[in-house]
Amino acid sequence: MPTTALTYPLLAALSAVLLPFAGFLLSAALGKRAGNGAVATSAILLSLLAACYAFAQIWNQPPIHIQWHWFTIGEQAFHVGVLLDNMAVMMLVLVSLIALPVHIYSAAYMKGDPGIHRYWTYLSLFCFAMLGLVVADNLLLMYICWELVGFASYLLIGFWFTKDAAVQANKKAFIVNRIGDIGFLIGMALTYSHLGTLDTKALIEAPETLPAPWLTVAGLAFFLGAMAKSAQFPLHVWLPDAMEGPTSVSSLIHAATMVAAGVFLLARIFPVFDATVLLVIATIGTVTAFAAAYFALTQYDIKNILAFSTISQLGFMMVGIGIGMYPVALFHLATHAFFKCLLFLCAGAIIHEMQHAKETYGLDMDPQDIRNMGGLRKHMPLTFTAMLIASLALAGFPFTGGYLSKDALIVHTFEWAALQSGAAKLIPYVLVAVSMLTSFYILRLLAKVFFGSLSIRSVKKDIRIHEAPMRMLGPMLFLAGCSLFPLFSVNPLNDSYVWLMQGLTSPVSTLPPLRLLHLAIPVLTTGVTCIVAGVAWQWYVNGKYPLKGGGLFYRLSEHQGYLDALYGAAVVRPVVRLSQLLLWVDHYVVDGMVNGLSALGRSFAAVAAWLDQRLVDGFVRLIGKIAWGLGNVFRRLQNGRLQHYFATLFFIILVILLYHIVVLL
Amino acid sequence: MNLHLLTLLIFLPLAAVLLIAFIPAAKKNTYRYIALFTGFLQLILSGGMYYLFHPKGAGVTDARLYQFVDHIPWIRLDMGSLGQLEIDYFVGVDGLSMPFLFLTSLIMLIAVGASWNIQKSTKGYFILLMILNMAVMGVFAALDFFLFYIFYELMLLPLYFLIGIWGGARREYAAMKFFLYTLFGSVFMLLIIVGLYFSVTNPETGAHTFNMLHMMNPANYTPGSVFSAAANHELLGISARLLGFIVLFVAFAIKVPIVPLHTWLPDAHVEAPTPISIILAGILLKVGGYGILRICFSIFPDAAQQSAWWLGLIGVVSIVYGALVALAQRDLKRMIAYSSVSHMGFVLLGIASFTTEGTAGAVFQMISHGFLSAALFFLVGMLYDRVHDRHIYHFRGLASIMPRFTVFVAITFFASLGLPGFSAFIGEVFVIIGAFNAESVNGILPRWMAIAGSLGILLSAAYFLWTLQRMFFGQPRLKGGEEWSKMLVDASPRETFIMVPMLGLALTLGIYPALAFDKINASVLALVELVGNN
Repeated sequence: MPTTALTYPLLAALSAVLLPFAGFLLSAALGKRAGNGAVATSAILLSLLAACYAFAQIWNQPPIHIQWHWFTIGEQAFHVGVLLDNMAVMMLVLVSLIALPVHIYSAAYMKGDPGIHRYWTYLSLFCFAMLGLVVADNLLLMYICWELVGFASYLLIGFWFTKDAAVQANKKAFIVNRIGDIGFLIGMALTYSHLGTLDTKALIEAPETLPAPWLTVAGLAFFLGAMAKSAQFPLHVWLPDAMEGPTSVSSLIHAATMVAAGVFLLARIFPVFDATVLLVIATIGTVTAFAAAYFALTQYDIKNILAFSTISQLGFMMVGIGIGMYPVALFHLATHAFFKCLLFLCAGAIIHEMQHAKETYGLDMDPQDIRNMGGLRKHMPLTFTAMLIASLALAGFPFTGGYLSKDALIVHTFEWAALQSGAAKLIPYVLVAVSMLTSFYILRLLAKVFFGSLSIRSVKKDIRIHEAPMRMLGPMLFLAGCSLFPLFSVNPLNDSYVWLMQGLTSPVSTLPPLRLLHLAIPVLTTGVTCIVAGVAWQWYVNGKYPLKGGGLFYRLSEHQGYLDALYGAAVVRPVVRLSQLLLWVDHYVVDGMVNGLSALGRSFAAVAAWLDQRLVDGFVRLIGKIAWGLGNVFRRLQNGRLQHYFATLFFIILVILLYHIVVLL
Repeated sequence: MNLHLLTLLIFLPLAAVLLIAFIPAAKKNTYRYIALFTGFLQLILSGGMYYLFHPKGAGVTDARLYQFVDHIPWIRLDMGSLGQLEIDYFVGVDGLSMPFLFLTSLIMLIAVGASWNIQKSTKGYFILLMILNMAVMGVFAALDFFLFYIFYELMLLPLYFLIGIWGGARREYAAMKFFLYTLFGSVFMLLIIVGLYFSVTNPETGAHTFNMLHMMNPANYTPGSVFSAAANHELLGISARLLGFIVLFVAFAIKVPIVPLHTWLPDAHVEAPTPISIILAGILLKVGGYGILRICFSIFPDAAQQSAWWLGLIGVVSIVYGALVALAQRDLKRMIAYSSVSHMGFVLLGIASFTTEGTAGAVFQMISHGFLSAALFFLVGMLYDRVHDRHIYHFRGLASIMPRFTVFVAITFFASLGLPGFSAFIGEVFVIIGAFNAESVNGILPRWMAIAGSLGILLSAAYFLWTLQRMFFGQPRLKGGEEWSKMLVDASPRETFIMVPMLGLALTLGIYPALAFDKINASVLALVELVGNN
């Protein structure tokens, strides 16, 4: 039963959620005066402190559940409430902990932008929505925050609204996410019609209340929602485009907000998923992980590479859910949040400098294209260090957080696959292959950006690139620290010491352990990473690139599987055509019928008018004419001549006489 | 103590009509102030009534549970062998009508605000507006079918002239089309009214009656009469009650409007002046939905249940079709007109589910659409007032030219496409949930209808966001060039003053929907039970 007592941890959690909302309202009210971001940043700082307090009080303690009556429909009451358990408080801290450095970084990164006050407003809304999502105790409230997250990301992606690509991208993001929202909505409707409530707790405690086929449908529907939000293949297409937003926004979207929401939802309502759905989740996750890593191999836009890397890592998390180990998925979510946020902040620092160089030296180049970079290691050593740490974490190198979570994930997938039959057994091997690809593309990125020599110097010799300012470096170095193992485990090499997973583990999420793998997999993946690093070094730093670009697989990767073109041709254009067709039908058929009816009515009327004039009135006129004619005839008789009168009289008498004779005869 | 508040609310505009009629045209500036003042009085009055309205007042079939009732014999005529003619002035309010009375007074006030700059024969204009106001109030309050019909027909007259005289280029065509289309429905309605009259007797006096509440009680039907459920008469090969239901439904469905009886709407909207568009979308469409609930469902609950599947289908078709056609529009006002068709489709889907969630969601959706569509048409009017153009491709990058206007448009668009926090979200979500629930509660609607209906939510995002992108974002580029950018001044204080309460209300109801649900719950439960028992 939900409690009603307001305790300090509860108040802390509530204020952690509501402070950014207050920040949003205040920034919106202040308008341009909120341009320095003090309001938003202090809101998120206080939110972080409150979240930490709530975390300390609630972690590994009995969950707190409180709800208030919201409204009643018929006799059915709906509530607003918060459910604070380990998962919720972990996410609460994670979101605010990632958001704070992003806020600080943004102050420097976005400095001088004429619309910066809007930026802070949106950012606060974004954080509020995500924080609300993680503590919500029922599906309706989650759905509301879920959509608000999407809305805030729409605003942020399209922050530079005069840029066409940006406003195309935010529209795409919102619409693709709406596809997922429909899934969420259907799942919610199913839950409601079988359980009679939208309470998350009621759902996860008794998922079997949903009869067999509907349980699967509900699971798939919720997963559809998560697929769109967490950018799973084939609904991932919005995420690379979302790079049109400011880089600091990308770092937030890709780390702890937005894309994390899908994974979080699945973990939150995990018991709903039956075996079929779990297998689907694992499969989609694997496909996503592989496809995105493959697409990342050939991208030249630094943010695009990172975007596909995010999608690929989200695929890993989905596999974690699919194999039933949602604590591992959440753990990977947490480690990934730090190093991915850091990768984007580093990329932002680099782009910032490249942009600066472009403006200073009047170069005509794309500041995000890695072919224009190179050798930045010497110009931006601290950025390089931070990025190196983040990249190693991504590649799953020992002593990083990524190593712990990724290897745990792969090991558990092997354990899971041992219980499966058929093609599902391949999934862990694919994941190993994907982690090789991951190491490769991230080392390619490092090599092209930081090693070799600065490409744009070939145009102008005296180009100078500076290290990022301290207000950007600070958050980056902080996140670099968080990307290493100590935050998660005392033992850098063994994931069974990870406190985070211990706190989240539940009886439903255990697999029979295969001890040997816990040693073999890390050794294997680390070894492979080193080999791949060597290859990448040889290819990109030493310039001994053996392959020629332009092959089928290369083009497929470069154009991201031609998915955008496919969707354009198979979905967008047909829908637009259909709508134009319907417009035509509406105008010419439906309305045509109405107008036709009116034309018909008018022609009937015309016929009736003709008949009226010619026939009915004609008859009347005929009678008139006859009367007139007769009158004319008889008028002649009245001529005043006596002889004529007598002659007429005589004639009439004659006729009468003749008549009588004829009758008598 | 009966203060006759409801009667006062209905006939207050009549006082304004008299006042306006006697003030000479030389002082024509006073007309709008009189209208504004009347509107304020009505808003306060209906707001007070809303506050006083007891949430347990279920109403629907039970006269005792109606509130603010005025019941006075009006026409009594001895008709020899046909018995006594009984027509009453009978008005009252329950949970189904209360929100609409408040909505009407709000929208009417906004319409007066939007009429501020009308120059052409203001006397006639404001008199017609006030008559329209009275008629709409009467429709939502009348409980005698004859009285209802009088108010219902009375709405048409001022609208015909308001569109036909103050409208755009093709105003005569649009006014005529609107008038004939609606009349087409209501003429047949009259036949059913007469049929009902001869089937129903007042249990107290034994005379035939037009009292709607008597018509809702099967015990009042004369055995063997045409609409008696027991007699089971057939007309034209179908059950008389079903036929009666269908005819009444078509009459109201034209107002809603449903596909394919909707084509009067875009023409009327496009040609009507802004305030009339606001009234059309804000209130008149709701008369259709209200009529279906109050009259079709309550008098013919058996036929309603029989036809529910078809009603749901019509709802789904309207949702998807309206949304798709809206997507293809290049005229902003037409796009919004079709979005209305789509959004009103949700109303039909919701009420067809006969679940409390669906029906309450549908009523909520009507209220929400009331001020959101009014806001949308007001925004189009703002643009049109400035440059006399509203072609989507003639504008671009308006966000840089009119930032405050763009904020209003963006908020209204997002509110209309069902962003949580705004009222449309609550309405649509509960319609979908109710429609989905129908299969397990009463088995009336199959689940695919709810799923197909949710496509409308997706498509609404597509057409609203696409429009936002095409007209408001990107680098400014206008068809009228420099001249236009001078004419496109940002929202004036008067316009801001009109927009803020509408959006505020949408937000308030979206965050705290209990404000509306508390008042409508009892009636919705009673209605659902009424239909469920058949």
